[in-house]
Amino acid sequence: MHISFLLHNAYGVGGTIRTTFNLAGALAGHHDIEIVSVFRHRDVPALGAPEGVRMSHLVDLRKKSPTYDGDAAEYARPATVFPRGDSRYRQYSRLSDARVADHLRSLEADVVVGTRPGLNVHISRQARRGPVRIGQEHLTLDSHSYRLRREIAHRYPLLDAITTVTEADARAYRTGFKLPGVRIEAIANSVPEPSVPPADGDRKWVIAAGRLHKVKRYDLLVRAFADVVAVRPDWRLRIYGGGDATGNERAALLALIEELGLHNHVFLMGPVNPLEAEWPKGSIAAVTSDRESFGMTIVEAMRCGLPVVATDCPHGPREIIDDGTDGRLVPVGDTTAVADALLGLIRDDEARHRAGRAALAASQRFDPARIAERHERLFTELASRGPRDRSHGALSTTLHRARGTVLDGAYALRYKAAAVIRKGKTA
Amino acid sequence: MTVSTGRRTPRADCTAGPGGGITFDLDLGRREDEEAPELLLRLRGAKGKGDGDTVRLQLSPLRDGRLRAVLPGTLEPAEGRWDVYLREPGAQDGEAVAVEPGIRDLRLLVDQVPQSGRIAVRIPYPTLDGRLAVRCWLRTPHAEAGPVTFDGHGMTVGGTLYGTGLGAGARVEARAPGADGRVLRVPVTGDGEEGTFAFTLPLDELADGAVTEPRLWTLWLIPGTAEDGPAGGVRISRILDDVWDRKKIFVYPGRSTGEGSRATPCYTTDNDLCVRLEPEPAP
Repeated sequence: MHISFLLHNAYGVGGTIRTTFNLAGALAGHHDIEIVSVFRHRDVPALGAPEGVRMSHLVDLRKKSPTYDGDAAEYARPATVFPRGDSRYRQYSRLSDARVADHLRSLEADVVVGTRPGLNVHISRQARRGPVRIGQEHLTLDSHSYRLRREIAHRYPLLDAITTVTEADARAYRTGFKLPGVRIEAIANSVPEPSVPPADGDRKWVIAAGRLHKVKRYDLLVRAFADVVAVRPDWRLRIYGGGDATGNERAALLALIEELGLHNHVFLMGPVNPLEAEWPKGSIAAVTSDRESFGMTIVEAMRCGLPVVATDCPHGPREIIDDGTDGRLVPVGDTTAVADALLGLIRDDEARHRAGRAALAASQRFDPARIAERHERLFTELASRGPRDRSHGALSTTLHRARGTVLDGAYALRYKAAAVIRKGKTA
Repeated sequence: MTVSTGRRTPRADCTAGPGGGITFDLDLGRREDEEAPELLLRLRGAKGKGDGDTVRLQLSPLRDGRLRAVLPGTLEPAEGRWDVYLREPGAQDGEAVAVEPGIRDLRLLVDQVPQSGRIAVRIPYPTLDGRLAVRCWLRTPHAEAGPVTFDGHGMTVGGTLYGTGLGAGARVEARAPGADGRVLRVPVTGDGEEGTFAFTLPLDELADGAVTEPRLWTLWLIPGTAEDGPAGGVRISRILDDVWDRKKIFVYPGRSTGEGSRATPCYTTDNDLCVRLEPEPAP
């Protein structure tokens, strides 16, 4: 099969890019795979291009490139196809609208895969009849704005399938919208087997990792660790990850560490990339977030043979961890529960080793080859039906798109009216 | 990992071995009959004249076609930062290219317990501009700092002394910067069998009048025995793990020293323990 991925920017760093590269690389052994990046701002992909995959771009943002598009007049005009509700809206333009449209209308592929809501909308509106239309959701439905969810409800009926990274999110799509004939399937993210041997389970360190952001609730972990140290001062905690632009979480955590007198036990290690050699320096991993769209670090830790103590938060952890077997699930925001779960694994060497071995075995299901097989099965099944037998024959596509145009006009009118009213008020 | 003979930057995975050795596995393919390149370790800041400024490591092909070099635990490169280069056969040393860091498996460096009093530490690390380097320390004797605790104005440091014992005149000196800087001396206690030591520094005695700019007091252990080691004492550092620069990782609370100044224990980028004395930040 010829499978064509449509990615926001294949040249940057991020979870969606990494996941798409893993999948494209795993499929490339048996299929003709291309990744089309809407934007390109550097010559070489920061994450390294996957082997055997063709890469191309639609809008060139390399200032020194002879085909630089940043000066085009259309580049300065706001997008009309790419939906406003998508958080990347401001990076899109009339130019990207046109380039993506040209690409999709001429695309000779068996399957076209969108990797974020705005691009899924493009595919739904502009892909020519023929290729199977897949929309991937790498975040979660409930993380999107009301405006984007409305756009999804309106546009996604013309997709053949939507894939989410958790069952919980697939349920949200199934129950939240009327999407007759659209396959909605949960396929987890993949994590490759680490190139380093697994942890031996005897090192007295707890490891956590992820950018320092409030939603990760490292404050909860640090407080819980104070309870751990009170009983087992021989154990220590390393938190890997850099601060981000949303606030000064690092300073807040340092203040908390000082307040609790944990400066000999809790260390903020800063950003480390790649992380895979850091997990085996510890024997237990901890993830205490209020929410996770998937829970990539849980899988990464398990693939290194660490049992994970995680909050039972939406959406991913409970679909990854088998509580009591290969890790522990604790209530969200409960310091004592986190401390108790950690101490349970700290006190019982045999239980810790057993859980670590179970984590190593269970996490094999996230191997890129096995995850790619699930995508492949979905693509093959839908492609074998042919466009006429899928839900969206020519007639329904034309009808839906025509209705869409009328509605677009109505929406546009409403926004214009709203803008006039706003301007009127501020004038 | 992909194997390629292209012109892109070579990348090395590093593994710390049980005997202090470091293994470098390069993602470069070579056939058995081809001449292998050489790995060069160059001491940063060296004048480039002495033989001790460059370490040459032979690269041999592994079964999977990758190339491996080993920095043996018995070799003792000078203390400092060593940049890693790859020299192709026939090329001059000056044409050697920098190597990128790959996966660094340094788990054996964490919480290591030295087997002898002769301390040789080497930690492969990524430089700020993304190259591979090796941080080396050579210390005999060596004073390894451990936990830092506070009680009122007192800062107590526990640690382990390697390569010598504590004599009758054992003490710790806090030295203010500058040739004629003040020196604060405090007694050090220890357990001869375990090699552990501990001392308490009264932080409020560091301030001598108004503090107008930050000053870094260095900490030295004077064993006070016949085989003292360095005449000026042993610099108190923390080097027995995988952290090549703990300045921003081992962060300690500060204590007010009165008179509008504040004292905070800290590590330098060379992992030496210090006390930073600075004006109290405005509330």
